[in-house]
Amino acid sequence: MRSIRLFLISSILATLILFNFVAALQGYQSSMREADTLFDNQMLDLARLVSNLDVSSASSKDLRLGNNLSFQIWNESRLIAASHNAPVEPLQSFVPGFEYANFDGYRWRTFTRYEVPLDRWVIVAERTDLRFVLAENVVLQSILPLLLGIPIVGLLIWIIVSHGLRPLQQLSSALRNKGANDLSPILSADSRIELDQVIESINGFIQRLDRVMEREKRFSADAAHELRTPMSALKVQLHNLSEEIDTKHESFHQLQEGVDRMQHLIEQLLSLYRATPEQFAKNCETIDLYGITQDQLASLYPSFEEKEQSIELIGDSIEIEADKFALETLISNLLGNANKYTQRGGNIVVSVEDLGSEVCLRVEDNGPGIADAEKSRVFDRFYRVDSNDGAARAPGCGLGLTIVSHVADLHQARVEVKDSSFASGSAFCIYFKKKS
Amino acid sequence: MFLNSVILVLQEMIEAALLISVLLVFTHLFQRSWDKSFVLRTSWVALSIAVGVLGAALYSYYTPQISEMFDYVGQEILNASLHLLSLLLVCLLAFIVPSAQLAKNTMGRARFAAFCMTGIVMFSIVREGSEIIQYVGGIAGQEENFTPVVLGGFIGAGIGVSTGVLLFYGLINLSANWSFRISLALLCLIAGNMGSQAVLLLTQADWLPFTPIAWDSSSALPENSIVGHLMYALVGYEATPSILQVSIYLLGIVLIVISPLFRKAWPQQQSLVGKA
Repeated sequence: MRSIRLFLISSILATLILFNFVAALQGYQSSMREADTLFDNQMLDLARLVSNLDVSSASSKDLRLGNNLSFQIWNESRLIAASHNAPVEPLQSFVPGFEYANFDGYRWRTFTRYEVPLDRWVIVAERTDLRFVLAENVVLQSILPLLLGIPIVGLLIWIIVSHGLRPLQQLSSALRNKGANDLSPILSADSRIELDQVIESINGFIQRLDRVMEREKRFSADAAHELRTPMSALKVQLHNLSEEIDTKHESFHQLQEGVDRMQHLIEQLLSLYRATPEQFAKNCETIDLYGITQDQLASLYPSFEEKEQSIELIGDSIEIEADKFALETLISNLLGNANKYTQRGGNIVVSVEDLGSEVCLRVEDNGPGIADAEKSRVFDRFYRVDSNDGAARAPGCGLGLTIVSHVADLHQARVEVKDSSFASGSAFCIYFKKKS
Repeated sequence: MFLNSVILVLQEMIEAALLISVLLVFTHLFQRSWDKSFVLRTSWVALSIAVGVLGAALYSYYTPQISEMFDYVGQEILNASLHLLSLLLVCLLAFIVPSAQLAKNTMGRARFAAFCMTGIVMFSIVREGSEIIQYVGGIAGQEENFTPVVLGGFIGAGIGVSTGVLLFYGLINLSANWSFRISLALLCLIAGNMGSQAVLLLTQADWLPFTPIAWDSSSALPENSIVGHLMYALVGYEATPSILQVSIYLLGIVLIVISPLFRKAWPQQQSLVGKA
């Protein structure tokens, strides 16, 4: 995934650095050329000055100019004056103009001048290394701020780009913070021309989605209602039939099981439908999780008794904010699941535990358990874990844990599937936020 | 000092930046068809730079000892070996990338490709980095040279890295087809350059015979001019290359051209990188 911010900051900074540094190099080269001309002009002045020197005085014959400069005055092949560091041989051939020479272990820039009225040759020399260092130091002082400014420029670019991208971030967080059932259009108080089109498209999409959901809601409600009535009638007819014919017949059992399964499926579909965020109208109230679990356990106790399963409830009263109906659906599905998938005579432990900021409802059994690969899939719609002990024959449609997951989501609770503390089996943990 | 420092650092940095950019473009182009793990996308770059810098520091520290090896041609031999190893890894990559793309189960191959890229960049940084460290460390130690050398080093590094960044973003913002073509062409030049440099170093070390020069373009484009230095960094330009150098340069290009990367990936990469 590519970051717009990183792209903008890196490419703007790289462009700035590239052009500034290349310009600095260009500036360096032209400044050095200018500095060279300046030093040459200084040598011209020096030569003019030296040519008028009074060579009769003793002091002028051994003039000290500094280590970077040297001169000689020649008259008809005779050295008549020189600086202290000049050799006795001519520094340069007697040809007027600029040249280079090597003496005293250094390279020198030389200028030769013939002074006609005095019949003198004047040769002045300047050390190239020192004049180069001097020129370079001056030029580099102008480049240094360019380099030191780069971190500041980088910081400024970062701030500007971040500021420029803020509307995009605001739009992104507005979309992220939208509730699951919030299908209201996005309003942007601080809109930008570039984002208006995006917001318009998203709002159009939300509107279409809202209409589709409304249609689906009506269809589901109608279908559920229509299905429930004939199913009840079918159950009554089946009951009547059981009194008229021989109920020991295998086909009759299969018919009865089929009708039970279908009724369960319709009930689960209705529960699932009610537990979807779009349909769910949360009526939160303070509920004692331990108490409601106890009630659900009592109502389902005959199922556990029938399979000779031992069930134990551990814990104390702990209050949470929840929707009573939804919570009952969640607990009954968890208990029903444990009952269905635990073998005859198995053990089931239900616990309500206070974890400080959270409350954990844990239902664990010593059934066959769930393979690691399947743990993430058990909350999928219509997914059923394969079982070798015949549990799959129990009425079920693979919606129970999907409903559990939906209800948990509606209460901002976490669901985890773990291995049971028994030798085998699984444990379902629902972590609710504790009532503050 | 300043200009010398700029040229040396720029030459080494631009070579490494070019290589990293091209490999990052390949990673970007194929990341969707390889896998989405963090390992493949970015961490190989960080790892190779970190290990490369460490290697460069060790190399420059032990340079006196290395130089004395193999009858005082140890440095040439080591540099040539690093070039050849990089060339080998570039060729392996050219053969691995399309396989990784074509096969469904790509995790192992993608990791191997990341391994190859880590090696290529790491060897490159060891080679180029050690030269920079030796130069800057040697000259910046003299007080009067410190400012020009360090300043020149920063300017050279800045231009080199910026060129790499702009090249990377320029390439990934092209259409997938053009991005792939240009990166592949650059990879060919990099491979050729690596082979040619290895031959030059082995010839200098007397491990390979001298062969006649293929051409002399020193009057048209001198090697020690700024453009000459840049061309050396970009395409391995030599004003007077030997016939053997040119042959190995061309062999490097041919190896990439005959690789599956060139042949098989070409018609299919549109559908894969199109999603990127």
